[in-house]
Amino acid sequence: MKARAFEYVRASSLQDAFEAFARVSGDCCYLAGGQSLVPSLSLRLQAPAMLIDISRIDELRGITLADDMLRIGALTRHAEMLTSPEIARHAPLLQLAAPHVAHPAIRNRGTIGGAIALADPAAEFPAVTLALDAEFEIAGPEGLRRVRAEGFFKGLYETALEPGEILTAIRIPPFRAGDRAVFDELARRRGDYAIVGAGIQGRVAGDRIESLRIAFLSVGPAPIRARHAEAAVAGHALSPAVIAGAQAALERDLDPAEDPQTSPAMRLHLARVLLGRLLGRLGEHPACKGAHA
Amino acid sequence: MNERPSLSGAAPVSFTLNGIARTVVTAPGERLSEVVRRGLGLTGTKVGCNAGDCGACTVLMDGAQVCACMVAARQAEGRSMVSIEGLAELPLGRALQAAFHRHDAAQCGICTPGMLMAAADVLSRHASPDRQTVMDAMGGVLCRCTGYLKIVDAVLDVAQAGLQTKGSGARPGEAVGQRVLRLDGAPKLTGEALYGDDGAPADALWLKAIRSPHAHARFSLGDLAPFLTRHPGIVRVFTAGDVPGENAFGIYPDLKDQPVFGEGIVRHRGEAVLALAGTRAALEAVQIADLPITWEPLPGLHGVQAALAEGAPAIHAGKPDNVLTRGVVACGQPEAARANAAHIAEGTFETSFVEHAYIEPEAGYARRVGDRMEIHACTQAPMMDRDEVARVLGLAREHVRIVPTACGGGFGGKLDVSLQPMLAVAAWHLDRPVRCVYERIESMASTTKRHPARIRARASCDAAGRLVSYELDGDFNTGAYASWGPTVAGRVPVHAAGPYRVPHVRNRARAVYTNDTPAGAFRGFGVPQAAIAHEALLDDLAEQAGIDRLELRHRNALRAGDTTPTGQVLGASAGLVACLDALRPRWQALLSDAAAFNAWSHALRRGLGIGCMWYGIGNTGLSNPSTMRLTLARDGTLTFWNGAVDIGQGSTTVLTQIAADALGLPVSAFRLVVGDTDVTFDAGKTSASRQTFVSGKAAQLAGEALRTRILRLTNAGPGARLDLDGARLIVADGGEQTVVDLAQLPAAGDGIVLEGVGTFDPPTTPLDAKGQGIPYATYGFAAQIASVDVDLGLGTVKVRRIVAAHDVGRAINPALVEGQIHGGIAQGLGLALMEEFIPGRTENLHDYLIPTFGDMPEIEVHLIEDREPLGPYGAKGIGEPALIPTAPAILGAIRHATGVTIRKVPALPHRVHAALAAAGKAVEF
Repeated sequence: MKARAFEYVRASSLQDAFEAFARVSGDCCYLAGGQSLVPSLSLRLQAPAMLIDISRIDELRGITLADDMLRIGALTRHAEMLTSPEIARHAPLLQLAAPHVAHPAIRNRGTIGGAIALADPAAEFPAVTLALDAEFEIAGPEGLRRVRAEGFFKGLYETALEPGEILTAIRIPPFRAGDRAVFDELARRRGDYAIVGAGIQGRVAGDRIESLRIAFLSVGPAPIRARHAEAAVAGHALSPAVIAGAQAALERDLDPAEDPQTSPAMRLHLARVLLGRLLGRLGEHPACKGAHA
Repeated sequence: MNERPSLSGAAPVSFTLNGIARTVVTAPGERLSEVVRRGLGLTGTKVGCNAGDCGACTVLMDGAQVCACMVAARQAEGRSMVSIEGLAELPLGRALQAAFHRHDAAQCGICTPGMLMAAADVLSRHASPDRQTVMDAMGGVLCRCTGYLKIVDAVLDVAQAGLQTKGSGARPGEAVGQRVLRLDGAPKLTGEALYGDDGAPADALWLKAIRSPHAHARFSLGDLAPFLTRHPGIVRVFTAGDVPGENAFGIYPDLKDQPVFGEGIVRHRGEAVLALAGTRAALEAVQIADLPITWEPLPGLHGVQAALAEGAPAIHAGKPDNVLTRGVVACGQPEAARANAAHIAEGTFETSFVEHAYIEPEAGYARRVGDRMEIHACTQAPMMDRDEVARVLGLAREHVRIVPTACGGGFGGKLDVSLQPMLAVAAWHLDRPVRCVYERIESMASTTKRHPARIRARASCDAAGRLVSYELDGDFNTGAYASWGPTVAGRVPVHAAGPYRVPHVRNRARAVYTNDTPAGAFRGFGVPQAAIAHEALLDDLAEQAGIDRLELRHRNALRAGDTTPTGQVLGASAGLVACLDALRPRWQALLSDAAAFNAWSHALRRGLGIGCMWYGIGNTGLSNPSTMRLTLARDGTLTFWNGAVDIGQGSTTVLTQIAADALGLPVSAFRLVVGDTDVTFDAGKTSASRQTFVSGKAAQLAGEALRTRILRLTNAGPGARLDLDGARLIVADGGEQTVVDLAQLPAAGDGIVLEGVGTFDPPTTPLDAKGQGIPYATYGFAAQIASVDVDLGLGTVKVRRIVAAHDVGRAINPALVEGQIHGGIAQGLGLALMEEFIPGRTENLHDYLIPTFGDMPEIEVHLIEDREPLGPYGAKGIGEPALIPTAPAILGAIRHATGVTIRKVPALPHRVHAALAAAGKAVEF
């Protein structure tokens, strides 16, 4: 099978893209890296009249630090998360998650903006943006707006993006001294969909975890923060009892659905194990050494 | 779905490919892979899945590897790209190709272009990458043949320039036993090898099958005329009524139960009900709902329990109980003997459907040549394809020609016909070439699988650990059609007690019809499933008797002179004891390693397992001859007419090595003609690990026959040395030298002046009603040990190391034998831990996972050469033996690590976790 015949438009600016969108009354898709869209079109899961290629819009590129925020252009490729010194320095959680995203050929094409706009519940970057307290820059015909990651992911492939809008950049508070980041996931094979995954960014003060944000992927229709687990850790040194408390609290944070191979109870168990190990690694930093004494 | 003209929006795209500026007109939806292959005719870039899962289409775009099937062609505008055809121009490109050749890193070769491009990418980024870096960077390209290790070695070889390299050109009379480089290897490294979808006459139409979305349904076809009017690019619709001969095919002469096109009923999801011929664009626009098909879904029988249940409806007339065939082997008095045994172990074991997952989907074309039919397609069994196509067309078999293309992996899955009958029917009626390539989903949904098994087994031994009895009842889900079901039901009882001396045996197997995907041949024909049971039970007995697991196997191992459960006395070449002796030092060391590791590790537990196997080479109690032919022409051309299809395992190279030594001329002197049914004799199918043993022996006999003719012609003694210099054949015997001018010899019409033909049919006897007889002329033996880490929190299993010892009789080409073992281990690992085909659910390569680089353990291979007197230079087979011990060894290692026996494979994390939790072994950290 093959994609339905459609028109193809290469937009050279956001304005271009919005005009094309209006011309077909929204019967279109924005094409960036295409790593989800191209196969989806070929399977006719989507059949738009027009494909608007936004991959050459310069405004969507670049990684910059300004106003104490790291701005990552939406067209930044997954592969750059592994190689960019800015990412390594200011958003290391993205770098930690990137090796788990598909494989190199896909990472060389796929874009972070595309991953976030698609909001696949099994994708790594959407969950990571929750842990990073990121906000998204969104452009539409009416102008720019900003939405926090917190309120962006609404449900299964559902986001706060309105029809016609384009996610232009991700803005992240830069990593500071005392910050710690850990990421891991359980996939049957590296690069494949995770059965469960989580990213944590925390701030350490002395031997205590002063604050932290824990975000899970693949445990529900959308990435989700584990607030009860966070509360069980925040303000404490990472003792085995605190970690066990955070693991126990997960039951109130996550409500995984049934799937043929993984029951909700099994997924919750896996999430607890993963969280326990990630918190252990968070605590392995010299600043937390006291916790294990 | 509303349809627009397919060329609407077509526009040119310009880019640089392999240094050449190109402009191609593309439709908006076209992928880069299509533009490269069909638009530019550069077929070196392969397409395996069209979904970014297999990486076969990997090319470099602005220096970075991308999947060409995942790039909208329009996005290539202005980009610079390199495909396999341009690799040689890159720095290190030729070095990579040479290293792949030296390391035998390409077997079937279908993944090789993608692998090479990914390798070029990693070497362009890392001057001296380590092993892990290479594996990570190439992890998106799947290979089903090699087990990946030789690929990594090849890349590191180029990076490090100095890593051990292997391979040699052998001197005359010395080819056997050498690491002769694969004779058909070079075109696989340049993209020049032509696979099923890589060529067809320019005027060929395309064919697309329409398949049932239901597992069981009645259907009727409405008026097709309006459909054809709406789809002007579609030339004709073919249904059951268009089949000129019999609308039926199947492996066994009395079991032609599978229709080319369903006749009012479908029995499995994915069954073809009709086919459309037309332009590619027109076919691609068709959805099943566009066709006037009325479906009446019926309840389906899924799994053997449903099919065997009281009152279950019969899937096929004539098989009221849904049992296709039964196989049995019985000797002694197992029940009475068991009653007196010291220890008894029993268990129930389950395995799943396993998909072959060759990276090349079924592809080829058919053309009518007068009153003959010619099929060019990938296959493992050209002569069987010929007979099937002849029956379907109602032609004499001589009126059908099968020309095998390069075959991008088979593993048993390309033993049955797939698209050949449909193509033949269409090309016959249209009198125009017709081509087809299966979509990945179509290939997975419609072609055969490994039989899921439900096995109940019981073993007993005496106080000293000597086996007393073995009893097995195995039900094998053969799906909707017979295919190779009888072979599985026949082979399993012979092998099910394992490679051991067991005086009292009663093994029964049934192949059972269901409404699931047809199960057929897959590397081992049911023996891998049965081995999971016998090895688990042996571990139980070892524990009960307090005997080390390796020693228990050693004590019971079949040796030359022993009698098997079918009453066959093994005359020679039973090397299991030697295999176990080779493994023993590693076994002891790895046991110590596991104990030391477990002393401090909690969530991660290390375990060691061992698996043994035996495997009969060739058909079970049936004639399976092979004939090979060598000719010398008056111009001096030495031709090897070899009907054995090389599906990547290396028969072309191995058989030529054998023929070369038998004749006394170097491998390089041979011109090779492989597998064309019009010009080669029947070598039998490439299956049952038989080509080295059976066709190898025929090649040896052919070589000897030609040599005898030459020696007679020159009155030379048996030790004479031959040389071929153009049309001059030089025979040196002691101090005497005779020169034969071949041009002066009387020639047949085709210029052939001398010929040697060899035929070999392994001596076997049919099995009687109790399964007694000589089913195979010889057996391969093997033992493998696996070291694994089990994560008690997550239920995951990581195989760290496999040590494999295989008695192959004689390794004609050790590099190729190692390649088979590596690849077999990869598939055995998949069977044990990863692979589960579920119709309708895992019909693609991201839901159905096969091992990739990161899943592979370190592998150490010990080749045991206990010569088989019947075999060519002592050789037996290795293709299937390579896989069989792996899953039992891994499962034994999980048990050793955790105390938990996994009784259903694959041992996916949720199954392992459930077993651990039930045993109170799961942890929360």
